[in-house]
Amino acid sequence: MSIGQPKPLRVVVLGGGTAGWMTAAGVAKLLPGLADVHLIESKDIGIVGVGEATLPHIRGFVERLGIDEAAFMKATHATYKLGIDFRDFGSIGTSYIHPFGSFGEEVNGVGFHHYWLELQRQGMAGPIGDYSLAVQAAQANRFVPPVQDTSLASSYGYAYQFDATLFGPFMREFGVTNGVRRTEGRVTGVERDAETGDVSALTLESGERIEGDLFVDCSGFRSLLLGDTLDEEWEDWTHWLPCDRAAAMPCAHTSDEIAPYTTATAMPAGWRWRIPLQHRIGNGYVFASSFISEDEACDAIAKAAEGTQLADPRVLRFRPGRRKKSWSHNVIGVGLASGFLEPLESTSIYLAQMAITYLIELFPDGPQIDPRDRDEFNRLVDMEYDRVRDFLILHYNATTRDDSEFWNHVRTMELPDSLSGKMELWRDAGRIEKYSDGLFYDASWIAVYLGQGVLPQHHDPRAALPKPQQVAGALSQLQKTIGDIVTGMPSHTEYLHRQTARMADPL
Amino acid sequence: MSNPRAPLRRIVVAGDGQLGSLAALAIKQALPFAEVIIIGTPVDNGALADRSPTALPFTNRFHDRLGLQEELLLLRAGGCHRLVLRYIGWGGHDGSGAVQHGAMPYGLSNDASLKTRFAQEWGGGSRSGTEGQSGSQFAGSVAEILAGRGQFAILPSETPTPLSDVDYALRWNPAAYRDLIIERAAAAGVRHIAGEISDTVPDGQGGLSALTIAGAGTIEADFFVDCTGPSAALLSRTAPVKRDDWQEYLPIRQLAFAQPVKPVLSLEDRVSLPQHGWLNELAGRDALQLMLALPDGVSDGQIMDMLGQPPAESISLNPGAVCEPWTGNVAALGDAAAQFEPLGFLNLDLAHRQLELLLEMLPGQVVDPRERDEYNRRAGLMAAGVRDVLGLHYAAPAAAERFGPLKQSAHLKRVLDQSSRRGRIPFSEELPLANQELSALLAALGMGSGLTPLALAEGNDAAEKSRAAFEAKAQAALSAAPPYGEWLGRFLQSNQPG
Ligand SMILES: Cc1cc2nc3c(=O)[nH]c(=O)nc-3n(C[C@H](O)[C@H](O)[C@H](O)COP(=O)(O)OP(=O)(O)OC[C@H]3O[C@@H](n4cnc5c(N)ncnc54)[C@H](O)[C@@H]3O)c2cc1C
Repeated sequence: MSIGQPKPLRVVVLGGGTAGWMTAAGVAKLLPGLADVHLIESKDIGIVGVGEATLPHIRGFVERLGIDEAAFMKATHATYKLGIDFRDFGSIGTSYIHPFGSFGEEVNGVGFHHYWLELQRQGMAGPIGDYSLAVQAAQANRFVPPVQDTSLASSYGYAYQFDATLFGPFMREFGVTNGVRRTEGRVTGVERDAETGDVSALTLESGERIEGDLFVDCSGFRSLLLGDTLDEEWEDWTHWLPCDRAAAMPCAHTSDEIAPYTTATAMPAGWRWRIPLQHRIGNGYVFASSFISEDEACDAIAKAAEGTQLADPRVLRFRPGRRKKSWSHNVIGVGLASGFLEPLESTSIYLAQMAITYLIELFPDGPQIDPRDRDEFNRLVDMEYDRVRDFLILHYNATTRDDSEFWNHVRTMELPDSLSGKMELWRDAGRIEKYSDGLFYDASWIAVYLGQGVLPQHHDPRAALPKPQQVAGALSQLQKTIGDIVTGMPSHTEYLHRQTARMADPL
Repeated sequence: MSNPRAPLRRIVVAGDGQLGSLAALAIKQALPFAEVIIIGTPVDNGALADRSPTALPFTNRFHDRLGLQEELLLLRAGGCHRLVLRYIGWGGHDGSGAVQHGAMPYGLSNDASLKTRFAQEWGGGSRSGTEGQSGSQFAGSVAEILAGRGQFAILPSETPTPLSDVDYALRWNPAAYRDLIIERAAAAGVRHIAGEISDTVPDGQGGLSALTIAGAGTIEADFFVDCTGPSAALLSRTAPVKRDDWQEYLPIRQLAFAQPVKPVLSLEDRVSLPQHGWLNELAGRDALQLMLALPDGVSDGQIMDMLGQPPAESISLNPGAVCEPWTGNVAALGDAAAQFEPLGFLNLDLAHRQLELLLEMLPGQVVDPRERDEYNRRAGLMAAGVRDVLGLHYAAPAAAERFGPLKQSAHLKRVLDQSSRRGRIPFSEELPLANQELSALLAALGMGSGLTPLALAEGNDAAEKSRAAFEAKAQAALSAAPPYGEWLGRFLQSNQPG
């Protein structure tokens, strides 16, 4: 500690799942001297242990903490991810990839998709994915990291697909090395200050008592502090996102090819994921229990998943929504304890990461928490959740599927105003409501709209000004360049195997 | 299936000042097959965007996009560079009674340094005492150091140079600039009609179908762009204009311009607090221009005292923004959409950003109401952002004392609070300045920011490292940059036309 620094704050992290260890490691590593981090976890309770697909932001987290990427990938059996392949969402038989990248480039100030819409009208355009390097590489099962310049070969990002049961332990080791104290045991009591209502200490089954100034609730769906103790109000989103269960089931690889993307396939009462890791494939059916029973869902995933089943389907239950306040008193919820949005766009770990980033920015400068910092944190977390929520709802609502009760419901449900406005602007004019904060910008919205067959009525008149042959020529040139770059890439599997430091030891 | 909307056939831009001409040129470039007509209806004197001799770095990039090379502005429009805007006295006095001052640079390169303890103590740009004197040979931003030594150049190079990170704004002579743009527009096929708008014909859908020019007949068009200044000659004829009044937010009601005096080549402009209001000193190749910005209640005598002469021109100001700058098929830009004091040179910058937004959302023959709503939503955010940045100036210690309590938006309050206590700037959409620039502005205005938890945690070693890195960067920049006057002279000489 150097002069001028306040006494370190005693930070107690309750929970040692992904959220808990990311928080503890992040705070301990980035705020040495400011925070004394103590994490409590219970082996008996265990962790959710799913959550395998991520977003490119996780790379920033790994880098910021100074974690060696190769070691991290090796420890978590990670593969690379270029996007998500959505199947049967807009209608049965259709598919598209939502890439970590964009489509083409704007020309003369007009977005690429307007030109594409124009060519498509003329019958001269391939699928929009033909003009995205990330999509083409994914479809060809190829991968290399993007180059570091401004050329086409730099025009995508990547994330990881990893084993969630290994990620926590990896972060634990990192956290402990960086000074996190760890206590194993079940919390059975919560003490609160009689006057302020703040949490003052946690008591364990063993009788041990752990005091703190700041408590981070990472207790998962239990939400022991934010929910049980402080009774923070829950905002329920089931009416927009009816899925409330998942049947998860790992399988063995069926071929040597490891896909550099996650697959999400729509099902009669939800959708199922397929996430290829180095050593196995994660599968799971996310479903709405009001439309299908748990047994039926387990049967369905067992039938649909390819490859030898490595375990029986395990059912997880959840509620879509969030606490109205993620930071209340001296308790901050991170991860499942603060809210849940189904993993359709792999956003949960991102949301935990964002909460950690904001916590670090707003880290109390003493045991007295300024209410303005708390408000600011809650404002930011709300913004993040709302943006993701609208984007997820879009995947369900933008469909012509009428083959099940579930799809009839989501196709016709009433939408949040914030989403219906965006969709109307797209439907009328082919434009995206612009924002630069939070998650999912223009390219993502365009990918889902077009991928799910929502064509606007009109596009920019300027896209029709050049001769169609001229635009078609430019597009096929782009397609060719993309094709050349993709052909030059090794297969994803080959790239992984070349990077021996990133590969887990054979089981 | 998606169909293209039928493109605009004829667009009329009213007002042929520097903003209207640029709008006409830009629209013609975007729609080469359309007929673009610019009406030389007089722009009012109070059109601050039109009379502004300078903008911000955004405009440089916008010009590039429109094919207006910077060289051209230097050669034909009296162009020169500003690296920093120095705020003098906004932070009040320090313990020893010395006046605080600070220089605000542009761009994002100040990012990393501003987050460290070193930068907050040294690099934030706020000091007191005689200008140029400070504890270290290298204090402030690289831009400030270059400006202080009068060294700068645009170095032609494919690879980054020690000056590549230094962003800048341009100044020019508005009349020469406007003539240059008009010439470009004419070459691109824009028709220019002189005359006053005597009447307009409504289109029955909240917009216009034609306008009448005294002596030149009636001109029909699909779309109209109003660049006529505060009177909003076209927009005001669509419907009663609803305006968001900013009088409670912003104190200035009058601007007094001094007779321009002899040219000054400087990389720095200044804004200080004389006895009343604030005083802007804008350097330039053809003149140094002084402008007083005043609240109500300052007498002519007091103005005389401050300027040392009677003002050459005075204009009154009623700050505010039109709620729906695009109504029907009429879009208002610049002062026709928002009026406010030229503090920090945001007027033409806002106008150009509105124009860029209009180009992005350029409609078809039939205006799509949702597209228009989205334009108005974003233009509204832009205007509110400008109001907040101006409001931020008036929160500076000495300014707050002088101009009294003013209303602040929730976002501005949040920025001031978060910055002073936590060293962070909450993000807001469509702001004229990047967060790094806002940090620099706050520091220049003498509003010290709190240390971020990260800076607190990093300790003194990291601060020492940033200091060393900064000094190396500053030294490299100084070695690479020739005296600005010499460079500019050589540049003009060797690029003489003919
Ligand atoms: C079906 C499903 C699929 C998902 N897929 C993805 C995905 O693809 N991508 C993604 O980003 N996210 C995904 N997620 C979300 C992701 O799994 C979670 O965000 C992540 O695992 C974080 O969980 P957590 O740490 O908050 O909770 P948990 O993993 O539940 O951890 C809770 C911790 O609290 C401890 N604890 C609880 N009560 C007590 C107590 N009384 N005393 C002591 N300790 C206690 C537990 O022991 C455990 O250590 C998915 C989630 C589900 C349900």
